[in-house]
Amino acid sequence: MLELQLLLGGLQNGALYALTAAGFALIFGATKVFHVAHGATFTLAGYVFIGAWNAGWHPVLGVLAAMAAAVAFGIAMERFVYRPIGRHEGGFFTVFVAAFGVSIVVQNLIAMVAGRGFANVDSPLSMASEVLPELFLAPVFWISIVAAVAMFLALTLFLSRHPAGVALRALAQNADLLRAYGLSSSKLSILAFALGSVLAAPAAILTAMTSGINEAVGNHVMLISMAATIVGGVGSLRGAALAGLLLGVAEAVVLTVLDTQWAEGASFMVLFAFILFRPSGMFGAAVAR
Amino acid sequence: MIAYLSNLATLAAIFGLLAATLNFMVGQAGIFSVAHAVFMGLGAYAGAQVALLVVPNPLLACLAAAVVAGGLSLCLALPALRVRGEYFVAASLGLQMMAVTLFTEAKPLTGGMGGLVGIPRPSLFGVVIPVLPMALIALVLFLVLMSAMQRGSFGRTLGAIRDAESAAEALGKNVAVAKALAVAFSAAGAGVAGALFALHLSFVNVESFTLEQSVLVMAMLIVGGTGTLLGPLLGAVLLLSLPAALSFLPFIPPTEIGSVQQIIYGGAMALLMIFRPAGLLGDQKRGRSEA
Repeated sequence: MLELQLLLGGLQNGALYALTAAGFALIFGATKVFHVAHGATFTLAGYVFIGAWNAGWHPVLGVLAAMAAAVAFGIAMERFVYRPIGRHEGGFFTVFVAAFGVSIVVQNLIAMVAGRGFANVDSPLSMASEVLPELFLAPVFWISIVAAVAMFLALTLFLSRHPAGVALRALAQNADLLRAYGLSSSKLSILAFALGSVLAAPAAILTAMTSGINEAVGNHVMLISMAATIVGGVGSLRGAALAGLLLGVAEAVVLTVLDTQWAEGASFMVLFAFILFRPSGMFGAAVAR
Repeated sequence: MIAYLSNLATLAAIFGLLAATLNFMVGQAGIFSVAHAVFMGLGAYAGAQVALLVVPNPLLACLAAAVVAGGLSLCLALPALRVRGEYFVAASLGLQMMAVTLFTEAKPLTGGMGGLVGIPRPSLFGVVIPVLPMALIALVLFLVLMSAMQRGSFGRTLGAIRDAESAAEALGKNVAVAKALAVAFSAAGAGVAGALFALHLSFVNVESFTLEQSVLVMAMLIVGGTGTLLGPLLGAVLLLSLPAALSFLPFIPPTEIGSVQQIIYGGAMALLMIFRPAGLLGDQKRGRSEA
């Protein structure tokens, strides 16, 4: 039963990883920006929710505030960091360093404002109850799964049905051609950042409700998102989400034999194996060399 | 005051060496690693173990550090041969995270979180010598080596690989060997810096080899300017004097100095990249097209 318990825990984490990774993959696919500060978006959203909860706001208001903070941060990054660097044709490393710098600033600002160490939200939803003999599940488990599936379905519908979603996919495929057709790639980039960032908010909130978050959680989230995007294959949202789920489960499987501190190592081994043997990922077409 | 300044100078030489060797990998070979602290850590543990278990001979410690760090740099060279750009950064980031776990868990070798304590003072032929002159010698040695290589055929091969890998391969350059050698050389330099760091502090633990440290070294390089010889040194001196300068400002509570310092260098990294992407000493025109 311990194995099943860990596996279900892995599924829950994996669903949240999948959401965050899908946001990262959406941004990377559409704008070709390796949005390293995605982890900072996650941390920010989580802390905004915790702050709202501690201030006694209604949870729905807290969720909305967290989403708004995530979207605002994503758009600000696009406008004030990536766009100016893109204007003078900075390479990927320039973008990476700038985004990393911003992540450091966010992490330390949060540490100064909210204090260091783990913070979490105690709600009846995170109380586990015995569903089967020796198998404990909290309502948060179902919420995580449902939230991940619902948001992913909504995103897929938006990208395939809504004109703006179709335009986003066009931007991912050929930005020059898109501009030739008279669409604004800068407006679409902002849309990509807004959509990608909003996906991180529910994951951050649910993580805050279960295991809690600290100011440095962004590093882990960033690694998972990058790993999932690469393992899934660049340009494939489905791949990134599936890989996120896979990484969550892999971490849980590792826990059955090793201690918790090795969980992150599991993600890295999966990433390393893919980079060495299949750099194009599960669903990727071209090898990135 | 003299002791304080010599401590600062020793650290500046050690971190200058770290930043300069990272510069070799990033600026010369175009391998953008964020795992430099891993090799510093490997060198520090190797050097500390030599000093603790065998003899506190600094030359032997540095040699062992260079061999261990250079040898294990294959972990970084392998993904560098397969992928470039964003992919490689992700791989090196993963390696960094993994290494911290390993350093924490391999208690017989590294002492875990408690670290290795009581590393004896380095002595040569029975005479105790301070770390500062050794660090300066190592720094100058590596700088001379690197500038020689930069002008020689190896440096030009690396430059060619950085600018156009397929073209370099088509011209008969052995890309795999050149990349692996560049990584090994850079890692060995970081290992030496790590060993000197361990001998200087006579204590090491995993806290000194985390992602934050890698980022600090990268920030030194970025602030100074990639691809220049003296830029990394300038960056190291600037960023190391930052905490000292901050402690003179009365309105920052002492508990928050660490955070303020990180915010300053995080912000400096972001702002420099937006407004001056080639760093303080870098050639601005060149930085735009490739950095």
